[in-house]
Amino acid sequence: MSYNEKCDGITKEDWMRKLEQFPYKQSDMNRLIMNYLVTEGFKEAAEKFQLEAGLEPSVELSSLDDRILIREAVQNGRIQEATHLVNQLHPELLDNDRYLFFHLQQLQLIELIRGGKIEEALTFAQNKLSEAGEDIPEALNELERTLALLAFEKPQNSPFSDLLEQSHRQKIASELNAAILKCEHSTDSTPKVMFLLKLILWAQSKLDSRDVHYPKMVKLETALIEKPK
Amino acid sequence: MLGSSSNSDNPSGGGCGAAALPGGGNSSGHSNSHTHHSRQQVTDRLKMLYPNVNEAETPLPRCWSQHDKCLSIGLSQNNLHVHYKGVGNKHDGSASVRTAHPIPPACGLYYFEVKIVSKGKDGYMGIGLTAQQFRMNRLPGWDKQSYGYHGDDGNSYASSNNGQSYGPTFTTGDIIGCCVNFVDNSCFYTKNGIDLGIAFRDLPSKLYPTVGLQTPGEEIDANFGQEPFKFDQIEDMMKQMRAQMRTSIYDYPMPLDQGDPTTLLHKMVSSYLLHNGYSQTAEAFARTTGQTFHEDISSIRNRQKILKLVLSGKMGQAIEQTLRSYPGLLENNKNLWFMLKCRQFIEMVNGSDIETTPPPPNQTSVIQSTKSYQNGKSSSGTVAHSNAQIATINTIATTTTSTPTTAVINADNHTHQQDMKIVSVLDENCTGDAISINNKNNSANIDYMNDVEMELNMHTTNGNSCKNGSSNFTSSLEGDEEMDIDVAPSTQKYSHGGIERILEFGKELSQMGQQLEKENKMNDEDRQMLEDAFSLIAYSNPWASPLGWQLCPTKRENVCTALNSAILESMNYPRRPPLDMCVAHASELLKVMAHASIGACAFVNIEDVFPQN
Repeated sequence: MSYNEKCDGITKEDWMRKLEQFPYKQSDMNRLIMNYLVTEGFKEAAEKFQLEAGLEPSVELSSLDDRILIREAVQNGRIQEATHLVNQLHPELLDNDRYLFFHLQQLQLIELIRGGKIEEALTFAQNKLSEAGEDIPEALNELERTLALLAFEKPQNSPFSDLLEQSHRQKIASELNAAILKCEHSTDSTPKVMFLLKLILWAQSKLDSRDVHYPKMVKLETALIEKPK
Repeated sequence: MLGSSSNSDNPSGGGCGAAALPGGGNSSGHSNSHTHHSRQQVTDRLKMLYPNVNEAETPLPRCWSQHDKCLSIGLSQNNLHVHYKGVGNKHDGSASVRTAHPIPPACGLYYFEVKIVSKGKDGYMGIGLTAQQFRMNRLPGWDKQSYGYHGDDGNSYASSNNGQSYGPTFTTGDIIGCCVNFVDNSCFYTKNGIDLGIAFRDLPSKLYPTVGLQTPGEEIDANFGQEPFKFDQIEDMMKQMRAQMRTSIYDYPMPLDQGDPTTLLHKMVSSYLLHNGYSQTAEAFARTTGQTFHEDISSIRNRQKILKLVLSGKMGQAIEQTLRSYPGLLENNKNLWFMLKCRQFIEMVNGSDIETTPPPPNQTSVIQSTKSYQNGKSSSGTVAHSNAQIATINTIATTTTSTPTTAVINADNHTHQQDMKIVSVLDENCTGDAISINNKNNSANIDYMNDVEMELNMHTTNGNSCKNGSSNFTSSLEGDEEMDIDVAPSTQKYSHGGIERILEFGKELSQMGQQLEKENKMNDEDRQMLEDAFSLIAYSNPWASPLGWQLCPTKRENVCTALNSAILESMNYPRRPPLDMCVAHASELLKVMAHASIGACAFVNIEDVFPQN
């Protein structure tokens, strides 16, 4: 007897009904959100959320200040300032995590390109960046992509324009934030929401590998669920 | 020892046939004999060991099966003790027993121990696992899909007559443990609390703990987790596996087609905040992350305002506001409207929905003590009731005096509660007006007055008046010694207007219920909801009544969610934010994994996604 046969019986409709009937607890969901805001250092949002949802954050929000300043600096493209702040806060952090350091340097290069400072960008790439990415194989490709921006008159329209987007700054800001948390031995440097999403992907991959049929969530962002194949 | 091949060809020794196939009904005999007083405790220990196993679907092995055993096997002590009662002939005498249920793979890591009470004549004993097909006149390990560790030679047998050198021999007094790992499908044994290392790999997923004996006098005792194990590291191992599993989930790569993870999280958090109307948080968050949102911020604020009204119990205003802001929404969704109104009724009892002077939530009620007594035939015996014509309150009627007396009834509600019998207004036999007993001469006149305890001032009905009503009922206070009858009204609590408003509203609500009933829109849940809400009014202290849970502000959440979902749905947004769906989806996925015998699901729980604090 195969268990798969049983699971074949689950229709998408039944599944959706189950999801609708799930015993949601608003307070748990809110804690999940607060955990995210605090872990990622969204202080203002965390404060508002505390008021609106009537929920205590798990840590003193003022303790977020350093991380907030760093996040803000990165998000606004002030990379040198951010690097300086990190070095003050945890002098060993960027020495130990070379890949992260490379990402910060890369972001600085991107900011130079964004500002149209081509010569400065080239000098920076030659002097600082090639050295930073020396021992990291992945870095080389990323460096090439970044420098390729220089080849375009309007880098915004190039195939590498993703590097110029705000989301790229956000990505590095989060990476840096997680590294700081880890450095501070904070128990969880990754927000729980991420665990939830990974849990879905992980579980689905386990089920797929056993050829189990079930309604699969194909897009997390919208929670889009497909019919079982 | 070696199992000779001739033996496996001739499975007919000592009255043993092939085992009955498991599954279905043949495994029932097991727990009936569990009359042990410690059973509850036993259950709890096993549940603690294997929290992710749903025993309604996949019961844990708790004892040996009386059916799946050889005749020369004797069971005793709640089917945990096994002794050999055959003649004992080296090869033909083998006799095995297995558990009634296979090990649920959702255990993740499963462990049981066997104590060798006596090695008997020769100590030819095998401890291990068998799959569905199992021959009970063989030791575990010899046949296909059977696995065993044998005492006489210390060898491990994996579906073969030839053993592999594995561990030490074992004999009287030794405790042998067998552990199955459903994550990597391996198995190891322990002897007297010491791990002997991996014995088998690539195990099938459906396995039964099994022991086999072969010579007279052999006796063993099994511990399926009822008692603490000799090998006490098992729980640490489980903890470790849980931690490893968490790490491997965190490390699971985010595929590119899901988009950039940072942006993905921003969007999911943002959609959650907007969905639930946390507009200021959403705005602050959007400012920092540079997002934009689709729903107009004023619309979100409006929605938030309504939700806040619901959450603070101001249902009347919430409904009004909804009707104004979302015309057609409630009109087209009467059940939702009904749900909101039921909540409004509850909030009125609670004192939260009264705009002017919200009374302190000090435990008093509308009607303090009422008792109904139904006349057998007319099942619809409801209510007594007052000028307000509403029929929610059953009973009343205290004395048989035909002249109205004023009595304040002060019930000791603790002792009184059990006697309360509440009858729903919505009883099918009743139609609106028929329920209300509107007796001109002797109407049950409920007056609210005075006294912190909120006494009931009743012009009592007399017997005749009851009979005049369309519902045939009698009521009495007999046997209620706990009730003080007190004629002294004291301080004013609810205003006359307040209670009348509740009663008036109750009438409106019950009419709405009947209308829905006519339109076939009521389900059992709706009926229950109405009945529960109305019943509150029958208690002198609704907060302490069995239905007092309704008054808890957390019960507003469901109503709030339902209204919010409906509003969003009407604007073509999903009923639930993607984040909620993800939680529910993940929870269901874990269940499917357990179904599909994927042991890894044992070490993750949906609770793990929520922060601990």
